[in-house]
Amino acid sequence: MKEKDLSNIKVTDSAGKLARGFLYNPLTAVLAIFLLAIGYISLEVMPREEDPQISISGGSIIVPAPGLKPKEIEQIIVEPLETKLREIKGIEHIYSMSMDNVAVVNVMYHIGQNREISNLKLYDKVMQNMDKLPKNIMQPLVKPFDIDIDIPILGIAFYQKDKSISYPQYLETIENLKKDISAIDSVSKTELKGEHKEQYNVEVDLAKLKGYHLSLGQIVQGIKSIAVRVPSVNAPTKNNELVIFGIKNAIDSIKDVENIMVAQYMGSPIYLRDVAKITDSIDIQNKQSAKIFFKDGQSYEQITLSVSKLAGTNAVFVADDVKELLDSHKETLNKLGISYTITRDYGVRANDAVNELVHHLVITIVIIAVMLVFFLGWKESLIVTFTVPAILAITLFIAYMGDQTINRITLFAFLLSLGLLVDAAIIVIENIHRHMHAHDSEQRDIDELLISATDEIGAPTNVATLAIILTMVPMAFVGGMMGEFMKPIPFNVPVALLASLFIAYIFTPYLGRKLLHRSEDGAHQHTEKEAN
Amino acid sequence: MGHEHQGKKFEEFVYGILDNPKKTLIVFGLVALFFVGSIMMFPTKIVLAKMLPGKSTNTFTVYIDTPNGSSIHQTKAVSECVINIFQKEKHVTDLELFLGQGSPLDYAGLVKGSGMKMGEQFAEVVVNLTDKHSRDEKSFNMVQRLRPILKDKCLPIVKNTNIKMIEMPAGPPTLASIVVEVYGKYNQKVIELSHDVAKILQKTDGLVDIDIMADESYKKYQLVPISDKVSKSGLSVEQVNQILYLAFEGMGVAVKNTIELNNQISIFVSLSDESQTMNSNTLSALKAKLSQLSLMNKNGMMIPLTEVVAIEEGESAPMIYHKNLKTMVNVVAETDMVSQVYPLLDAREKMIEYFSDKYEVSKVDGITTYMFDLKLKDKTNGEEYLLRWDGEMKVTLDTFRDLGAAFIAALILIFLLLVVYYKSFVLSSIVLGGSFLSIIGVIIGHWVADLVTTETFFLTATSLIGFIALMGISSRNSLLLIDFAKSLIQEKDIPKRRAIAIASATRSKPIMLTAIAIILGSALLASDPVFGGLGVALISGTVAAVIVSLIFIPILMDKTKDI
Repeated sequence: MKEKDLSNIKVTDSAGKLARGFLYNPLTAVLAIFLLAIGYISLEVMPREEDPQISISGGSIIVPAPGLKPKEIEQIIVEPLETKLREIKGIEHIYSMSMDNVAVVNVMYHIGQNREISNLKLYDKVMQNMDKLPKNIMQPLVKPFDIDIDIPILGIAFYQKDKSISYPQYLETIENLKKDISAIDSVSKTELKGEHKEQYNVEVDLAKLKGYHLSLGQIVQGIKSIAVRVPSVNAPTKNNELVIFGIKNAIDSIKDVENIMVAQYMGSPIYLRDVAKITDSIDIQNKQSAKIFFKDGQSYEQITLSVSKLAGTNAVFVADDVKELLDSHKETLNKLGISYTITRDYGVRANDAVNELVHHLVITIVIIAVMLVFFLGWKESLIVTFTVPAILAITLFIAYMGDQTINRITLFAFLLSLGLLVDAAIIVIENIHRHMHAHDSEQRDIDELLISATDEIGAPTNVATLAIILTMVPMAFVGGMMGEFMKPIPFNVPVALLASLFIAYIFTPYLGRKLLHRSEDGAHQHTEKEAN
Repeated sequence: MGHEHQGKKFEEFVYGILDNPKKTLIVFGLVALFFVGSIMMFPTKIVLAKMLPGKSTNTFTVYIDTPNGSSIHQTKAVSECVINIFQKEKHVTDLELFLGQGSPLDYAGLVKGSGMKMGEQFAEVVVNLTDKHSRDEKSFNMVQRLRPILKDKCLPIVKNTNIKMIEMPAGPPTLASIVVEVYGKYNQKVIELSHDVAKILQKTDGLVDIDIMADESYKKYQLVPISDKVSKSGLSVEQVNQILYLAFEGMGVAVKNTIELNNQISIFVSLSDESQTMNSNTLSALKAKLSQLSLMNKNGMMIPLTEVVAIEEGESAPMIYHKNLKTMVNVVAETDMVSQVYPLLDAREKMIEYFSDKYEVSKVDGITTYMFDLKLKDKTNGEEYLLRWDGEMKVTLDTFRDLGAAFIAALILIFLLLVVYYKSFVLSSIVLGGSFLSIIGVIIGHWVADLVTTETFFLTATSLIGFIALMGISSRNSLLLIDFAKSLIQEKDIPKRRAIAIASATRSKPIMLTAIAIILGSALLASDPVFGGLGVALISGTVAAVIVSLIFIPILMDKTKDI
């Protein structure tokens, strides 16, 4: 259709101006498609996670002080350290624990402090004041903690269904798998829990020791003297060639340990195996263990591999990548008698949350559309229905640009705005509908009617929407963890509402012109021709 | 047309109220009655407030803490008892037991110190359930049902064991629902006081999983090398210490490098289990064991260990905990499906009563987020203690305070916006006052929701957010109404009262339509455990807002001279 001169239509408000500007603009349709496209892309690529990322900075300072009692530790380590840490700006709480042999000081920064800077400040403060700490303690350990990196998104429990391979081999397989998983994009930290190391255990029998008149010290000496490692040695020959020879490890297998001679008793050698039980097994001094119990009563010793993701990355993608890698290894693992079960999957949970949003949206849009069919007619209903995805598309895109992720709380913000964002379109379409069905509508030009109907409710709708936006904005200033948790609401709801205004003013009259006709068709045709 | 006819009827209805002072008075009276009635639901506890409701999840964790000094075997026995109970549950898919350590970190564990756990007295059991959509029992109901069974059966296995059931928080994680921080100068006194506090919490209805976050003292033996005997026997103190450690704890003395495997293999020496085991936890048993251990001196002579060390019996020294440089002990408790507000007030009353015997109890003046704190002063020696409420309660108070401030800020901002738009204080006040009345709907809605649901339906932080959003929505209704009436009067010269009636009849349609859209849009939310409060607030608040803007606002408009 040829563009008409609409500038003679009197408008008073931005609503009318937008309606007039886009009514015949060929780009309006392109804009609509473009908006829907960026919205869809944003929905697909935006990082998904279950809980929002809260930037909590803090750290632990662990000071090992063997042999000191809690009271001593409190006085000579904790108190000087605490007073010095107080000097750091931005710290909210300092917690300390003075225990036997060790001091732990935990520092929590105020929410929203820059993490890297906070960590550096903490490290700096401790290092600067090393001289204030007593001399007989060990080097303090400064360990920052980080909510994004520290909380694993995936947990995989490995267990041996049959013991066809030895524990070291089993552990080796899992550690290799762990290495492969660490190499996946966006995986930050992989950790094993419940794993034991291979170890040669020499369990000395006290009675036999006494019988041979041996001391524990002798046994230790005996083992130490043979388990040395020497680098390769070079020696020149007569014609200056190099001869390289290595010295073979004296201990190569469990047999070598068994055959260590610890002493002589009445002329005959005493071997280690005579006084101790020697086994090639796991670290028995490590009391930590993990087990998995199934519904059917079966239980296995397990090793949990936990996988964390980098901040700002998509939990769904990372989890999928890891699961894919596991699947590709499933056969090999099965052959080795290793089974696994996924015990934690935040990827699925994040995905569920997002899909639930989309599901809710669709249902709500359908319900609202059906309702509007009854009150206004199916074409009007169609127009309002179109505006919802368009508004959400803009909101999603802006959220994506603002480095937000799709999580439970952004979902909450969208659901909250859902009931609000159709309002502008409903008000516009209702006013157009009312004007079209008014008695004097036959005398009016259709374009003029659309534009002035939009213009008429523009001012109060603008003010009202602004009022809703104003109610949301102060929420951005709620402090503490809860404030941080709710941040997506004051960020996204106003954007959605603003978008709803633009969409309502631009697309409702535009689609109205394409779809809606006045009650008397003849009158409509007539005015069209006249205008041309 | 049908619509037109209805519109006319409604127009006459509104006009009838405006034109009849008696009817106007009745409407005023009803509004006032509802407003006061709904506000009164708070102090009368008909509608209960809570920070965030429980969230049904597919997993929860059981923390098992046997007393300090317990062995891994004791902890294991308790854990296995717990696991046995869960294994019988039909919705449990699998259970993970982590002995001597915390489970892989999650949101709750982050603040509850799960990652720091290391020792034989700790265990965590992760309970994985079937998907929440395919299960009728919500995870928090299951926790509530199993908690007494668990405690009944598993707690007696090891005395002083603590079992806590940790659910995933719906909002930001906190240390516990209720935390009482007991501050004082001397650690021992603080620990004693915290035991009293724990006892009171135990007696309070609705509180479960009470735990004192301090070490229990346990029997401990101290081996003291007698230095002159050590040197006379040609030994060194270091040697003595090392051998003792080696014998009972064990030590890696050498390593073997491997080509095939990732790790070095350590060669670990210790006494065998049978050699380590003592007959009983007594001084004589320890002495008997130690006498079997001998050391070789420089001259190759064997010297029994008991010759050079003395054994002292004593109590272990408990950990000293500081918060912000002050000695403190935490007493924590969880709530059993109730809001933490009411048990807290309850427990506080009991504490005031209990402690007034020995202490002078004083409250904190003024309204702060620490307003429930109690100060204790020992009547005999004047030592001062502070009982401070922290945890979810503190977060709740802080959040409600901030949200309240946000709400007031929103009111002021809207008012200013309206003043700019209408250039009239009266009209702006009408719009704002009308919006505020939607609180009637919010509260009544919660009351009704509480009546129809089996669990308590709390007024939560999300309800408050819903209410704040409602302010904007209902002001939109009033705005459209006032604007339309104004333009009717100015452009078409219709008398004011008639214009208001026409306006409310004409605007009733879009107001109803947007209201229905909001109600339908929020209907799905209302069934959600976390966002339910928001859904109910929006639905019932919108209903109230529609009634207020179509009937009550016209009356106010009629009364003012600014139109």
